[in-house]
Amino acid sequence: MRRILPLVAKELTELRRSPSIFLPALLTGTAAILYPFVIALIVPYFAGERLSDSSDFELATEVFRSQPEARGLTPEAAIQAYIFEYALVLMVGLTTVTGSMAVAAHSVIGEKQARTLEPLLATPVTTFELLSAKVLGAALPGVALMVACFTIYVGAVAMFAERGVWLMMLTPRSLALVFVMGPLAALLGLQLAVCASSRVNDPRSAQQLGALIIVLPIAALQIAQFIGGVVLTPGMILAIALLLCAGNAVLMSIAIRLFHRESILTRWK
Amino acid sequence: MDDVSFELVPGEIVALLGPNGAGKTTTLRMLGGLIHPTSGSVLLDQQIVTAATAPRLRASIGFLTEMPGLWERLTVRQNLTVYARLHGLASPALAVDRMLDLFGISDRGRDFAGELSKGLKQRVALARTLLHDPSIVLLDEPTAGLDPQSAHDLRELVRRLRDQRRAVLLSTHNLDEVDRVADRVAVLRTRLVAVDTPAALRTRLFGRRIRVELARNAASHVSMLRAGGIDDVQVEGAVISVAVNEHVTVAGLVRRLVENGADINAVIPEERSLEDVYLRLLKDSE
Repeated sequence: MRRILPLVAKELTELRRSPSIFLPALLTGTAAILYPFVIALIVPYFAGERLSDSSDFELATEVFRSQPEARGLTPEAAIQAYIFEYALVLMVGLTTVTGSMAVAAHSVIGEKQARTLEPLLATPVTTFELLSAKVLGAALPGVALMVACFTIYVGAVAMFAERGVWLMMLTPRSLALVFVMGPLAALLGLQLAVCASSRVNDPRSAQQLGALIIVLPIAALQIAQFIGGVVLTPGMILAIALLLCAGNAVLMSIAIRLFHRESILTRWK
Repeated sequence: MDDVSFELVPGEIVALLGPNGAGKTTTLRMLGGLIHPTSGSVLLDQQIVTAATAPRLRASIGFLTEMPGLWERLTVRQNLTVYARLHGLASPALAVDRMLDLFGISDRGRDFAGELSKGLKQRVALARTLLHDPSIVLLDEPTAGLDPQSAHDLRELVRRLRDQRRAVLLSTHNLDEVDRVADRVAVLRTRLVAVDTPAALRTRLFGRRIRVELARNAASHVSMLRAGGIDDVQVEGAVISVAVNEHVTVAGLVRRLVENGADINAVIPEERSLEDVYLRLLKDSE
């Protein structure tokens, strides 16, 4: 950690001086926050109908209300809570991954363009320390953005949705999603990007590849939840978190093997 | 790179010379433990540099890369502090202050690196290179793009490093600079063409010559010298250039000329430029 922390601090200091790189992630976060409000509140308001009047959500709401925390909700509140809670997966996934990837792309490409990597490689820093610092330096701002989006999201749900809906955003399941799965998914994406960057000439492609690999399963999970094919139980979240942990450990070891200083110093022109 | 073997000892400056693509930077990177040779080995203090030992051994090396490579959105002080902490220095702030003082940039500590001139960036990069007091200093084209005063200051610094018993390896295209500071010269052309002191290389390639400046035309003395067994004689106006060796001494040559009625103004050892040496070595290596 002795050499990882100064490098992470360096990454964060550089980021503070270029807040504009967060813009795409901010736009993504805003869209991810807004879209469940459109479905749960804005469309029914303009249509002059209540969600509970429609039979479309009947089955999903029934499953949702079987959870102990949801039992006290009115039918309308239960549908809203169902939409808002399941939209969390996409919000958490998108904001964390896009935030982290934006920073990672900036960090890696910036390092390459400014030719700052070579002096860094000339220090006693090991490959593990360097990659850990790069991954953490990119993941931390992404996670911070996600937590900020989550706070705004819960606040907006508390203000505009039916009574008690916002409490459904703070169940152990939701919190595990936000504070465990989100960061682990971001780390996985970043490590994929690092692995890919040691095998391609253009680090930007590597970042995009990492984002693509991690965003696609998140989007698939979101769709599966909405059509009722998957219900994310606490057990399932735990299992996914463990898988992500194992995946992260394996990817770090692969990234270290793939990180060829020779290639980086000679091919990154 | 192939067949590159040489030794660098404390208190010595060795200059790496060679055309573009000759492998100077690659050699420096191998010595700095950044990349590993596909065959052969690099030894630092009798320890082989491997992937496992490189991080530890790099602690004793200061590597000035071809580009300053500063983080431009960080201040000068922040740049140096990160490196001080990466090297695990006990008091990073003190070490940074010391370097800022040494390089006369204390007043620029709060400036962003991106705002500095090329010369100042190079000074900061040098400060970063020496921050951890390395015993081996590798400099990749350190004076490229510097103004004459900055280049002069840098050469003074390199000499001071030698006086402090550090081993300095310097890659450059500037032959005048090499002549001024280097103890030995290593010429590369993807393999090691030659390594020796500049004087020894001159002697080896061109022999020792003496230039005798006379008051009048020298042509009349040539036949006397040749008749006396001195074959390698060149004349240009009032100047005679003669190759000297164990059979032809300077004293003997002067005596013969005086006995032949020559009016001698000056006797000067004739020194071929390092450029001549370098070009000859490259030509011979083709």
